[in-house]
Amino acid sequence: MRHWRRLIAKLHTYFRRESCEQDLDRELRSHLLLLSDEFERRGMDPEQARQAARRAFGSIARAKELSRDAWSLVWLEQAWQDLRHACRSLLHNPGFTLVAIATLALGIGVNSTFFTAYNALALKPLPVADPDHVVRLERWFERGYFGDLQYAFSYPEFIYCRDHNDVFAGLVAASWPIHVFAEIRNDAQSGSIVTENLRGELVSANYFADLGVAAQIGRTFFPDDEHSATPAIVLSDSFWRRRFNGDPLILGRAVVMNRVAVTIVGIAPEKFTGASVALQTPDFWAPLSMQKELSPGHDWRNEPKLMQLQLLARLKASIPLKRAQAEADALIRRFAASYQASDRTKAVTLQHTSFLGNTEDPRFQTVVAALLAIVGLVLLVACANIANMLFARGAARRQEIGVRLALGASRGRVVRHLLTESVLLSLLGGTLGFFLSVWSSKLLWVVIEGILAGPLTGGLIVNVNLSPDIRVFTYTFAISILAAIAFGLSPALRCTKAGLTAAIKDESSVFGSRLTRSRLRSALVAAQVTVSMVLLIVAGLLVRGMIRSQTTVTGLETRRVFLVSAGFGSTPANAAAMQRRVLDRLRMLPAVRNAALGHAPFLGTWTPPIVVQKGHSTLRGRTLASYASDTYFDTLGIALLRGRSFTPQDAAKSARVAVISESAVARFWPGEDPLGQRFQLDLNFRGNLTEFEVIGIVKDVRFANLTRIDPVHVYLPTSATDSYAMLVRAQGDVKTAAESVRAAFRSIDATLLPGMSFVSLEDGPLRIHRSLARLLAMIGTLLAVLAVTLAAVGIYGVMAFLVSQRVKEIGIRVALGATSAEVLKAVVFQGLRPVLIGIAFGIAGAAGLSWLLHTSLSFPGASDLLYGIPFYDPPTFLGLALMLLSIAASASVVPARRALSVDPITALRCQ
Amino acid sequence: MSSERRESIRILQGTLDLIVLRTLASMGPQHAYGIATRLQQVSNDSLNLNQGTLYPALVRLGQQGFIKGAWRKTENYREAKYYSITPAGRRALDQETRRWRKLAGLVEQLLATGES
Repeated sequence: MRHWRRLIAKLHTYFRRESCEQDLDRELRSHLLLLSDEFERRGMDPEQARQAARRAFGSIARAKELSRDAWSLVWLEQAWQDLRHACRSLLHNPGFTLVAIATLALGIGVNSTFFTAYNALALKPLPVADPDHVVRLERWFERGYFGDLQYAFSYPEFIYCRDHNDVFAGLVAASWPIHVFAEIRNDAQSGSIVTENLRGELVSANYFADLGVAAQIGRTFFPDDEHSATPAIVLSDSFWRRRFNGDPLILGRAVVMNRVAVTIVGIAPEKFTGASVALQTPDFWAPLSMQKELSPGHDWRNEPKLMQLQLLARLKASIPLKRAQAEADALIRRFAASYQASDRTKAVTLQHTSFLGNTEDPRFQTVVAALLAIVGLVLLVACANIANMLFARGAARRQEIGVRLALGASRGRVVRHLLTESVLLSLLGGTLGFFLSVWSSKLLWVVIEGILAGPLTGGLIVNVNLSPDIRVFTYTFAISILAAIAFGLSPALRCTKAGLTAAIKDESSVFGSRLTRSRLRSALVAAQVTVSMVLLIVAGLLVRGMIRSQTTVTGLETRRVFLVSAGFGSTPANAAAMQRRVLDRLRMLPAVRNAALGHAPFLGTWTPPIVVQKGHSTLRGRTLASYASDTYFDTLGIALLRGRSFTPQDAAKSARVAVISESAVARFWPGEDPLGQRFQLDLNFRGNLTEFEVIGIVKDVRFANLTRIDPVHVYLPTSATDSYAMLVRAQGDVKTAAESVRAAFRSIDATLLPGMSFVSLEDGPLRIHRSLARLLAMIGTLLAVLAVTLAAVGIYGVMAFLVSQRVKEIGIRVALGATSAEVLKAVVFQGLRPVLIGIAFGIAGAAGLSWLLHTSLSFPGASDLLYGIPFYDPPTFLGLALMLLSIAASASVVPARRALSVDPITALRCQ
Repeated sequence: MSSERRESIRILQGTLDLIVLRTLASMGPQHAYGIATRLQQVSNDSLNLNQGTLYPALVRLGQQGFIKGAWRKTENYREAKYYSITPAGRRALDQETRRWRKLAGLVEQLLATGES
């Protein structure tokens, strides 16, 4: 209580400074007068009495000072003083200030950009009402499967959970994206009808209500929408703007989806882009009751094993998460007892929601950790730079600081003063960095969107909200303060060390011997160079990999092979039949050399476990597997080396035969004849092995991705009742081929045409892979250039300082007859020693890093980012090391030459 | 200067505040010079009080609301700032006195057991 009163009184005094001073003055004078009166009474004369009074009183100045201390907010005034002084000194050294602020802006900006992205993906809550109480249900499998299926539940499970719990205020279900045919009239009355493929989600009737999302126009679902004659759908804002130009009159328009009429009743708000773990924004939401029409083929309501729905729950206000989680777990497991599941669920947890559904995915977390380490390193390099510059400045200010310490300032006070300067620099740099990051995250997003929205991905619409919010701002602020302490504390402590006499006499430049041996400074330079070297090498390898990726030969025919996709049918059986019809027709076209069904290359991998019995031993592993129809290998241009390919009879009989790649032979049957051998595959990952017989061997190709040749690949025959991707190989002119394919489609079934896409493997999947390589190389190079620039600036600064300290020495040497070349050599070589150490460490570090990456990429489908360049690639390492060395050397030579050009007499006289 | 050494006692801030309050409470309103003189008298000059060190104590006490100052004329028609203790000051004085006595008693007890 007392402290508060004193604080208020102090603030009061602060504003009445003048009058308090005058009052004190008056009081002291009166005190002195009273004292001298007393002395006069004792018999002294007035003059003597006055002097005696002064002596008896003691120091007036001290009394005033103590009183001032008592009535003022000392720390506040000191801070204000420090701030003003810091501003002045920064303004007096514009060169240093600008360089420091720019360096900090880059370092902090990079960190801020990283955090903006992470925030948008993992920290920002969903745009629903009260997002802290909305959770996602996640299940954990006995066999340890990780991935999207952890969020999949079945309709009966949903109903059971909904009806038997008392911890949730609401439970909603949403499906994964479904594709429908839509016929939309362009005008309300009489316009033409346009058919297109749309992507939407099926959701429970309480989806919008329980999530707390209100439509921006119109309404969302009512519970009885399930039973009305023309069911309602809600459009997403991005689809509405894209397709209907934001026309508000679209409400009430009827649309025909999969031959069923639905009405558009509302538009979702702009910020709501869905709550799914899949990142794309759906075009529309429809009620679950329409499942049979919109996603036909299965009956979700009655099949407890069909896991098609994601479940989100809103917790009741007073229920703690643990209790809700325990109840959900018990409910799901109790329900699971009522049917036989293929992979049992061993636990159910509740997860807080964010934009990216699965933030616990170890792959995601590894990428985040790696990126954090990299941007952290860049910031450290920037801080090391500024620390070195501050060391130099501190040495120049030793006189001033020495005098202050001698006059009685405490070391803490002077350190605080110096730190204020660092904090000011850091905050200025941080603000600039914050704006830089806002601008650069926008740029980065534009680039990524350019990659994602290629022709194959069908205009993948992912809306990530990258706008900075309070979290990003706080993070940037915290990083700035941390950086200030990192680069400011050590120089401040060092400069205020004892040794006042030396400082005041400015004997600090005693032939530079004490300073050049400053181990800390050399260590900082070496560390900067190490980081730059590592980043440079990584970027160099990525660039070489990128160049390779642009010219890699896949072994497949990619320019003339087209991926043809269309909505072949609404049920799997229909689709399969339609595909066969289309295939037969296409193969008869003169412009088409061949057509086939099967897995399309570069579009994801399927790697079932494989078991090979050899005598008494068993070989186990994982293999890439694809389905292939009888004309597959010819269509794709994969050469058959031995044995035979599939025949239509194999497909009809569902024969258990397989064609394997060369490397599979080398792996499992080295030195033997594989034809006729048998192996087993676990096709469904459930532990049921199916046996296959080898009937042919094909050449190795790069099927899974562009970066490496498939380690092991097994091709299985297609079955007559399933639908697959359709691949068509053109003969002759590509344009005529496209036209004739379209004509063929039209003649079979004109409704197929609008939803059809016809993209070559080169322009579609391969383009994405190559763009990704380009993006990685670009980002890597950017970071490396940043680190090298910072290191070069740092080296220059340090050398300039070292040389300035040795000016006397250089002057004496020149006067004694040394040539410029000799002096230059001595100075530069000494300065380059830490650089060489840094390069050595950097090479070791980069080699270790790439070796680590290399050994972790043994999985059949994994990508090799380096496109086969060995991790210890000598040209890259040596070339970049030399480059860095030459940059460092030139950064050192410039100040050394400047020092040499000074007249020796001036150098000798100079302090 | 007499031959006996005058041992000067240094005083801590908080104790000085207590003494000043006590003085004001028993003497009534008094100016700074008066307080200093009184303290010197009572302690037989062994209190090493630089007259100026009173002032910060007076500022502190004033900030906490324990004393109030007002300009008045002395008997010799000199002007001086007279300080008087406030009710809050009296309460604080009681509290601090009790605390001091308890502390002194404790220290005395500890020292006594040490000696024997």
